[in-house]
Amino acid sequence: MIGEKMDPRKTFGAAVTEIAESREDIVILSADSGGSSGFKEFARNHPDRYFEFGIMEQGVTGIAAGLAAMGKTPVFCAIAPFVTCRNFEMFRNDCGYMHQNVKIVGRNGGFTYSDLGATHHSLEDFAIIRMIPGVVILAPQTPGEIRAAAKAMLDYEGPVYMRIGNPPMEELWEEKEFEIGKGSILREGTDLAIITTGTSTANVLCAADLLAEKGISAMVVGMPTVSPADEALILHAAKKTGKILTVEEHYIGGGLGSIVAEVCGRYCPVPVKMHGVKKEYAISGPYDELLKYYSLDAQGIAREAEKFLTEG
Amino acid sequence: MAFSDKVKELEYISWKCRRNVLRMVEAGGHGHLGGALSAIDIVTALYFGKMAGKPDDPQWEQRDRFILSAGHKCMCQYAVLAERGYFPKDILDTYGSLKSPIPGHPDMHKLPGIEANTGALGHGLAIAAGMALAMKCNKQQSRVYTVMGDGELAEGSNWEAAAAAAHHQLGNLVLFLDNNGLQISGKVEDIMNFMPAGERFAAFGWRVMEIDGNNMQEIMCALDDIPTGGTQPVIIVAHTVKGKGISFLENKAFCHFWSPSKEELGRAIAEVEKRIEEMRTELEVRA
Ligand SMILES: Cc1ncc(C[n+]2csc(CCOP(=O)(O)OP(=O)(O)O)c2C)c(N)n1
Ligand SMILES: [Mg+2]
Repeated sequence: MIGEKMDPRKTFGAAVTEIAESREDIVILSADSGGSSGFKEFARNHPDRYFEFGIMEQGVTGIAAGLAAMGKTPVFCAIAPFVTCRNFEMFRNDCGYMHQNVKIVGRNGGFTYSDLGATHHSLEDFAIIRMIPGVVILAPQTPGEIRAAAKAMLDYEGPVYMRIGNPPMEELWEEKEFEIGKGSILREGTDLAIITTGTSTANVLCAADLLAEKGISAMVVGMPTVSPADEALILHAAKKTGKILTVEEHYIGGGLGSIVAEVCGRYCPVPVKMHGVKKEYAISGPYDELLKYYSLDAQGIAREAEKFLTEG
Repeated sequence: MAFSDKVKELEYISWKCRRNVLRMVEAGGHGHLGGALSAIDIVTALYFGKMAGKPDDPQWEQRDRFILSAGHKCMCQYAVLAERGYFPKDILDTYGSLKSPIPGHPDMHKLPGIEANTGALGHGLAIAAGMALAMKCNKQQSRVYTVMGDGELAEGSNWEAAAAAAHHQLGNLVLFLDNNGLQISGKVEDIMNFMPAGERFAAFGWRVMEIDGNNMQEIMCALDDIPTGGTQPVIIVAHTVKGKGISFLENKAFCHFWSPSKEELGRAIAEVEKRIEEMRTELEVRA
């Protein structure tokens, strides 16, 4: 229901569990992480397709590739940095280079594990995983989109990395089919376009409201597929508004902002301001306060947009 | 001080440290409690009974190093460091707040006494081995102590470090395995069995001791039994109880990450304070 807030992890686990009822090829892998990823019920109902390995993310990533090579569709969900940084070479060689049908899901992505500190933040996952050729990167923006993206991910043949958060997520629109590689215009506007993804989208929409109150018309573009980029949509936004602000819960460099800047730089050079977390080991604390500190709350995003329009 | 008096004193301190842990939970509303309490007797023994270190000069070169490989247990290290005087106790009240110097996993750049930024499991032993190797190169007498969780054993990096430590004859490296038998999803033996861990380490060339890791006397005896100048790294397999000291949490997997109600927290505090009072009286009588 629109406006309702839901736990992204449980939403994800339930969606995969439902799909797996009719898909015998789907196997769930856990590195002491399955229960917290929404797979308690799956583990109970399908002990023959739920495999626990303990805390060995590198091993599990390789095992996933092996399972996939034998026709299984493994889904491995754990805390985001441990399935992107920790296991990076296994991701690159065993899943990417071997182009295996492995689905790796980083939960508690960005700095949603806010008070657990920098070891538990993933502010570089888009950047490093998009360097692996052939890996699709998804970052759904609402609970409904998590469900739809889970389906698309499982229907797609090839390695996928999906990032989800941790705090309750708001249902912002009616659930619709998810098409990998396609973004959408969430709000029309003319003064600038704000391109965003994942957990940031809800705050960007609020920021657009704040900007409207000040007479600023902001287009909002949601990019639940971070890679491959929806180049046509980026170029449309660039041509229509001539100014692009990117917003993501990620380091400023390397992620969605870099992708947008690369596309614009090549085909439609317009000013692109990349907003995200500056390159430092992020501070810890309550999630809302971190968002505020890094100007990723609605007010902060609106401020960045205004500054961009006035100061460039 | 007679050995038995020293042990009693250390026990008393460990309970005061447990109280410090609850002070942090009170401030932050939650925390990785279970593993902090299973390891807190070991960490108390190290800082108050064994390691060379200067709270007023935490960077003193000749100090022994302590690496908390299982960084999520950090509340026990914060509690002990505060009790030992490394930083003022009111910092404990910042747990969970913005920019706190005591975040949910330790940060050496934020707090005196922290030697490594752990939190991702399976890093501490390798860092500790590196430090031990440097000490050996420098002909330093100091040692490196590290605490690892039993669930953490599954990280392959630990076994790389274990092989390296034995190969390079790091007799100045001591690993405590906090063998509380539990991890997030349940029992370690059901999740990914590494038992008997002692035998596995022995096969890698380590010297193995087994103790009750919540028994101060056994902890101190084991520590006193490690010679200087040895060539074998030492693992002390410490059989412990997760949530040790708070009766209604002991041996319960759910206390791994504890978000108590006000009532539960109050009950835990009352239990610990009662014990502190009993021990204080006992120590006075002995004196
Ligand atoms: C690399 C890595 N993977 C996963 C986690 C999440 N995690 C934190 S604690 C924990 C369980 C640890 O169990 P154990 O080592 O037995 O610790 P204890 O029982 O003493 O708390 C897990 C999986 C992590 N911190 N680091
Ligand atoms: Mg354990």
